[in-house]
Amino acid sequence: MAKIIVVTSGKGGVGKTTSAAAIATGLALRGNKTVVIDFDVGLRNLDLIMGCERRVVYDLVNVIQGEAGLNQALIRDKRVDNLHILPASQTRDKDALTSEGVEKVLESLSEDFDYILCDSPAGIERGAQLAMYFADEAVVVTNPEVSSVRDSDRILGLLASKTRRAERNQDPIKEHLLITRYNPARVDHGDMLNLEDIREILAIDLIGLIPESEAVLRASNQGIPVTHDANSDAGQAYTDTVSRLLGEDVPLRFHEYQKKSLLSRVFGGGRR
Amino acid sequence: MSLNVDRASTAFTFKGGMLPMTVMELTSADPERIREQLAGKLSQSPAFFQHTPVVLSVEKLDEPHLALERICAVCRAHKLLPVAVRGGADPVKQSAWALGLGWFPPQEIKPRNLESVAAPAPETPAESVQPAGGGRIHRGTVRSGQQLTAPDGDLVVIGAVNAGAEVLAAGNVHVYGALRGRALAGIHGDAQAGIFCRELHAELLSVAGNYKRLEDIDPRLLGSAVQVRLSDDQLAIAGLT
Repeated sequence: MAKIIVVTSGKGGVGKTTSAAAIATGLALRGNKTVVIDFDVGLRNLDLIMGCERRVVYDLVNVIQGEAGLNQALIRDKRVDNLHILPASQTRDKDALTSEGVEKVLESLSEDFDYILCDSPAGIERGAQLAMYFADEAVVVTNPEVSSVRDSDRILGLLASKTRRAERNQDPIKEHLLITRYNPARVDHGDMLNLEDIREILAIDLIGLIPESEAVLRASNQGIPVTHDANSDAGQAYTDTVSRLLGEDVPLRFHEYQKKSLLSRVFGGGRR
Repeated sequence: MSLNVDRASTAFTFKGGMLPMTVMELTSADPERIREQLAGKLSQSPAFFQHTPVVLSVEKLDEPHLALERICAVCRAHKLLPVAVRGGADPVKQSAWALGLGWFPPQEIKPRNLESVAAPAPETPAESVQPAGGGRIHRGTVRSGQQLTAPDGDLVVIGAVNAGAEVLAAGNVHVYGALRGRALAGIHGDAQAGIFCRELHAELLSVAGNYKRLEDIDPRLLGSAVQVRLSDDQLAIAGLT
């Protein structure tokens, strides 16, 4: 049985797709058979971030509507063997997703994979609700700003009430907080919410903290998940996040503001 | 309010009570249209439709004769329990009685908008219990978009109430954590009710309809433990020491 993990946030543009791609890549690099599904029907992006946009033939909606088999729609990642992508449709809308259809797809994927990542669309409408409905765990992606925190809070409320686990009174979904675009210097200045404030408001466990990094933008535009960029701070932070998802105890990094010393300025060491 | 008689020898006592009641304001007398709208609502918020008692208000309808029996059947099929009819002409009153329903005269004053109490509420968090005495205890954070109501007594939240969340009680509201959302005590008019919290950042505080917005609250009180009470029709916020 696969573990189903939804990557969600409520607010758009906080790094859901980047995180879903990076975490899926990290899980696969650690030897887990992983598939990442794009639930953002109509605004598909995951294939771009994963660098497989030229190989999309069939998509999630085709599978749900019986127009293609699951194996026809799954795209094998070029870089990591046991990683697959199930893209979203760009021409349909989210009403094309049905609860029964999604359940069926997840059930058949469960037989073959260790981890199923569901990349949720923004918002709290049908697409987002279907992405989270069958999840066992949730990674809630939050930026250090008030509107993102409030939207994440809203999503946490939905995770506790509008999911299969909640409706069947099973153990609740395991909720993890992933803070992205964290800039310790700006937090220090008071421009951004600090880590402790976010944790206090959302009151869930922190699974990772991704520093704001040029590596993320570069990775998106090149279509190579940032986890592959092992020299970058963001790449390392996602690798740490994956280790914690797998139950390992890894100390937090990149959350403290360090003034650059003269030496590091000269040699450009440390952060990139 | 009970009659002064020997309790042991009586089978019952009459008591006056103000129960929260959902009024279904009909704007159409067509059972088919009502059925369609109910079906839509039922799929949106199934939790609301659990043999919920409703009063059918026909005040906005101009028709002397109503297919009351069919409307009631539609309601029951969607797990709403019509208990009475309000308004309408004499034939409506007669058919209500014939169906075993009560009849209320039309309301003279415009009803206040009690939507936050009576509407099919948004998500209610699952981790709450209703102890004896009509109160309610909730453990854990009440999150943005959630609404928690104790319609008959006190509400106790052991955790925070986040911005965008709303907690309501007929009696007192106690928040053993940070109060960042809206808190309304005495929602049925109990002026003795109060709000208590460990850390005040509330968007809105209200006791028996008298309210203060975050903007109206003395900034020096923000972040501290306070009690909120009604004194001379004004909300008084004082430190809890």
